[in-house]
Amino acid sequence: MIEIGLLPTFGSVGTLGVDALGNDFPWLSLSIFFPIIGALIVPFVPDEGEGKQVRWFALVIALATFLITVAAYLKGYEPSQEGLQLAERVDWLPDLGLVWAVGADGLSMPLILLTSFITALAVLAAWPVSFKPKLFFFLILAMDGGQIAVFAVQDMLLFFLAWELELLPVYLLLAIWGGKKRQYAATKFIIYTAGSSLFILLAALAMGFFGGGQPNFEFINLAEKSFGTGFQILCYAGLLIAFGVKLPIVPLHTWLPDAHGEATAPVHMLLAGILLKMGGYALLRFNAQLLPEAHTYFAPLLIVLGVVNIIYAALTSFAQRNLKRKIAYSSISHMGFVLIGIGSFSVLGTSGAMLQMISHGLIGASLFFLVGATYDRTHTLQLDEMGGVGQNMRIMFALWTVCSLASLALPGMSGFISELMVFAGFVTDEAYTLPFRVVMASLAAVGVILTPIYLLSMLREIFFGKENVQLTSQNKLVDAEPREIYIIGCLLVPIIGIGLYPRLMTDTYSASIEALVKRDLVAMKSVGRPVPSIMKKGLLTPALFSAPEF
Amino acid sequence: MPSAAEIAWLIPVLPLVGAIATGLGLIAFNSTTNRMRKPVAIGLLTCLGAATVLSYAVLIDQLSGGLPVEHLFVWASAGSFSLPMGYVVDPLGAVMLALVTTIALLVMIYSHGYMAHDKGYVRFFTYLALFSSSMLGLIISPNLLEIYVFWELVGMCSYLLVGFWYDREGAAHAAQKAFVVNRVGDFGLLLGILGLFWATGSFDFHGIADGLLVAIQGGTVPAWAAITLCLLVFMGPMAKSAQFPLHVWLPDAMEGPTPISALIHAATMVAAGIFLVARLEPLYSQFPFVGLVIAVVGTITCFLGASIALTQMDLKKGLAYSTVSQLGYMMLAMGCGAPVAGMFHLVTHAFFKAMLFLGSGSVIHAMEEVVGHEPILAQDMRLMGGLRKKMPITSRTFFIGCIAISGIPPLAGFWSKDEILGQAFSTFPILWAFGFLTAGMTAFYMFRLYFLTFEGTFRGNDKDLQASLLRASGKSLEEGEEELIGHPSGSVHESSWPMTLPLVVLAVPSVFIGLLGTPWNSKFGFLLDPAEAAAMATSFDWGEFLLLAGASVLISSAGIVLATFAYYLQRLDLGKQIASRFPLLNTFLVKKWYLDDINEKIFVQGSRRLAREVLEVDAKVVDGVVNLTGILTLGSGEGLKYFETGRAQFYALVVFGGVIALVALFGVLGQ
Repeated sequence: MIEIGLLPTFGSVGTLGVDALGNDFPWLSLSIFFPIIGALIVPFVPDEGEGKQVRWFALVIALATFLITVAAYLKGYEPSQEGLQLAERVDWLPDLGLVWAVGADGLSMPLILLTSFITALAVLAAWPVSFKPKLFFFLILAMDGGQIAVFAVQDMLLFFLAWELELLPVYLLLAIWGGKKRQYAATKFIIYTAGSSLFILLAALAMGFFGGGQPNFEFINLAEKSFGTGFQILCYAGLLIAFGVKLPIVPLHTWLPDAHGEATAPVHMLLAGILLKMGGYALLRFNAQLLPEAHTYFAPLLIVLGVVNIIYAALTSFAQRNLKRKIAYSSISHMGFVLIGIGSFSVLGTSGAMLQMISHGLIGASLFFLVGATYDRTHTLQLDEMGGVGQNMRIMFALWTVCSLASLALPGMSGFISELMVFAGFVTDEAYTLPFRVVMASLAAVGVILTPIYLLSMLREIFFGKENVQLTSQNKLVDAEPREIYIIGCLLVPIIGIGLYPRLMTDTYSASIEALVKRDLVAMKSVGRPVPSIMKKGLLTPALFSAPEF
Repeated sequence: MPSAAEIAWLIPVLPLVGAIATGLGLIAFNSTTNRMRKPVAIGLLTCLGAATVLSYAVLIDQLSGGLPVEHLFVWASAGSFSLPMGYVVDPLGAVMLALVTTIALLVMIYSHGYMAHDKGYVRFFTYLALFSSSMLGLIISPNLLEIYVFWELVGMCSYLLVGFWYDREGAAHAAQKAFVVNRVGDFGLLLGILGLFWATGSFDFHGIADGLLVAIQGGTVPAWAAITLCLLVFMGPMAKSAQFPLHVWLPDAMEGPTPISALIHAATMVAAGIFLVARLEPLYSQFPFVGLVIAVVGTITCFLGASIALTQMDLKKGLAYSTVSQLGYMMLAMGCGAPVAGMFHLVTHAFFKAMLFLGSGSVIHAMEEVVGHEPILAQDMRLMGGLRKKMPITSRTFFIGCIAISGIPPLAGFWSKDEILGQAFSTFPILWAFGFLTAGMTAFYMFRLYFLTFEGTFRGNDKDLQASLLRASGKSLEEGEEELIGHPSGSVHESSWPMTLPLVVLAVPSVFIGLLGTPWNSKFGFLLDPAEAAAMATSFDWGEFLLLAGASVLISSAGIVLATFAYYLQRLDLGKQIASRFPLLNTFLVKKWYLDDINEKIFVQGSRRLAREVLEVDAKVVDGVVNLTGILTLGSGEGLKYFETGRAQFYALVVFGGVIALVALFGVLGQ
């Protein structure tokens, strides 16, 4: 047990209600409700059935939402502050302890911006959708608001509601517009995520009612409660399962290749670009920030799981013959770095985890968009049936190459700097013993070799070689059109921008990350060592997990 | 007016700007940009030309005693960690800048001729400019991490350029192999950099060296750990500079266009590893064991490359193995603690090897007129011969290159190689013996290449031989014949001026540059390391020098004489003799020490098998458990398939309703 008073202030304490710039315009509520209201108008937009009008409407709404979030960032957000900003608080159902509390700190703000950015591009990517376009754009816009809510809400019950609400659009988008096995994939997705999210509810209720009195689920109140270590561990385990499904953590990942394998390109962009980040965000927000003592027990496990993610998923990706599933597995592999960063107990590593989420959001979205665009032309996802496509689609080949190089962490692009920060943070921090760090870092670095193997093999099998007569005789392989080049261009600007000057992004959240890690370090000091007792008797020798010396 | 060193950051930026402009043009206005060959070529040549002028200004500045310049800014920071980036100009960097810009410029002029009929002319020039920019950035990097950044970028350019002709299966595989093998080296380099950062808190070359010394003396870092870190970092140069056993990618990389082989895979990028080891000299000199490992690796590479080059029939592959061997010499010098000697050989080798490769490109270009665009035919020396009279400039410059690399005084290779052998003799006599033997082999295989290509009678019109070569390489005969019909036999003639001019220009330094590094008055040494050069000049002993130099000239001459007998006068059929008397040795060399086979069997196939097995586990076991749970909980024989439309929405609704109900319930209870 630790005295909470000794903790460094939790993000919002002290700054709540006092906005950085004294600006009380409800920016975040607006950015949540604006796309939802837009979505509700979609059915009434006059349309001739092909989606030619409604797509323009959806694009305007999505762009406006993006501009609102940008305005929120510029007007009401001060990057150097660690506390909660843009905060709004309205008692909703006071009897139930339910309040409408939103706000943004360094953990939320970059992901809110990412969400509205990727959604706007996804709407543009959905230009050719002609099957039930109204329903499609309704769901996309509704999802936009729901996603922003997930990152912005400051109340755990509200968080659970937003988390659940966002599942329905995804389910429908998968089940109606998916590929051949869409029902199976959608069902698997909903069972996995909805099932696991029951743990969020249980943990929320437990934490909200802890200590008796009027239940309160707001993060600031939860942060002030002094939970017992055992209680923390129980909640942590439940939440880890819930968020581990989302991130995903091997072996809870098997919904993802199916869901990603069946989704259409725009949905795919949202799944990879934003949905996976909900898992990482929630791990940081709840597990690392609200349950710091349990975090010291679980952090070594996170590191091990991260390494497993990297290697296991890279190998499965290499063996995959289906293009979409291949890239889906590569997403899982990249999420391993997020886990290592979160478990690293270092500002640098945790910062790297955050950057990896943003970076993968951009790179993953671009790759999945390209997969969709390629499928529109080749009508196959089987690598065995491709080959020699580069002869007909030169620009597409170039775009693929750039995005694949970004994904394999080429310097000059965002993936490199985020992975480097995770590595450097984990290796140089004294929280773990030297042998543990050496073994884990070496294994994670194997990913550095495996990633180019599967990505470059993929490029070779799609594009290199003589002109593919069989494919060109059945399909018209036209090169990339301006809309497609524009979408990839938009994604590459931040990818390369962050790669050239990472502080563009890291400066927006580093204050919050520093506060979070400080909190974790104080907790670790009081607990003593990050040694989970269960793992002492496990396969790994206890020496690997011995304590840091203070 | 700022001094040249102050604006040295412009040197990599200039070609980068050109490359970005053309690259964006290619993406946005593909066909227009592709048609604008002349403007693009002139624009990029101007960018690179300006960088060249600036590089020479920097070199002159350093020669006249200018102080090293370093500028840094904070690139990334988190918590207490901050990472400076910037640029540094010192004598070592200035030499490399001048070298790289010169050769890049000449190669670009050459490419105008070589790629004249290629559809990808503009794309090729863009890649060339991009590569030059990355390579120049690498040279002026002030710390290990920035070096790593550019290290990867030159690797990427190499990948793009080796795979330039992406309709060729061979190019596709070679490009991937080059990148992946280099990533194996980078794996070590990255871990080493991270480990050194952990141990010393610095990425800076001197900071690391000093910090590690302090850490070892303070007991925070054990000596074995420090040595391990040094060796991990060394894995990077091993891959990039094609050192045994990570050299396997370099000969395959010859699938790329020949100007690239000259620029990237002979003169500049592969030298980056040597350059990095020279930069790390303050670190490596603390550990004699590390020096020994480097020297041994260098010697093995040197010997292996030369021995394989003896049997190569492909002109470019022969030169590639020669490059491997020469890089081994440079690494040997680094291991002997003589970075100046290694760097000097790097410079001389860059000039004459670039010239040799460009010469081979000129030959291949001419051969394609006769045998068509099939590398298996156009590069095979069995189809060449008698080209001296038809290609006078190419043959003469190639001949100069052969003498230079063989180490015949007073050409460039003699001075630099002899200095390395001298250093090896005083440090590791056993390694010297291998280096000495290699010198003879070098002279032999180089003159073998020369005689087979340029002397004798022309064999290119022999259709039977062409067919058998195609068959041996596993290509179907029909395909080959089609291609032959597509290219009616022309005649071999000398290449156009953009291709011959660079050859002539490069011949000048190949002959004379060695004189800058004579052991009794090494101007090169005085620039890089004045103290060392002065010490060498005072301790110089004519007797010892003449003895060692005489011995290496003797063995080189022996190699040349043997090659003359075998391939010019054709008095003895060495190939057949060896093959019949020592069949094992012959196959061993022809199979390239079986290293490619081992690589293919263990690593390529092994990783594929492992990946397939993991996927199997993923699909059958991990996902199987999930589906099984589905079957059990739903009580359905068909698993999740049964659980179709409608049910899941219902399930989600139940969950959602449950939540609301629970919230309400707790709300009531809470009151």
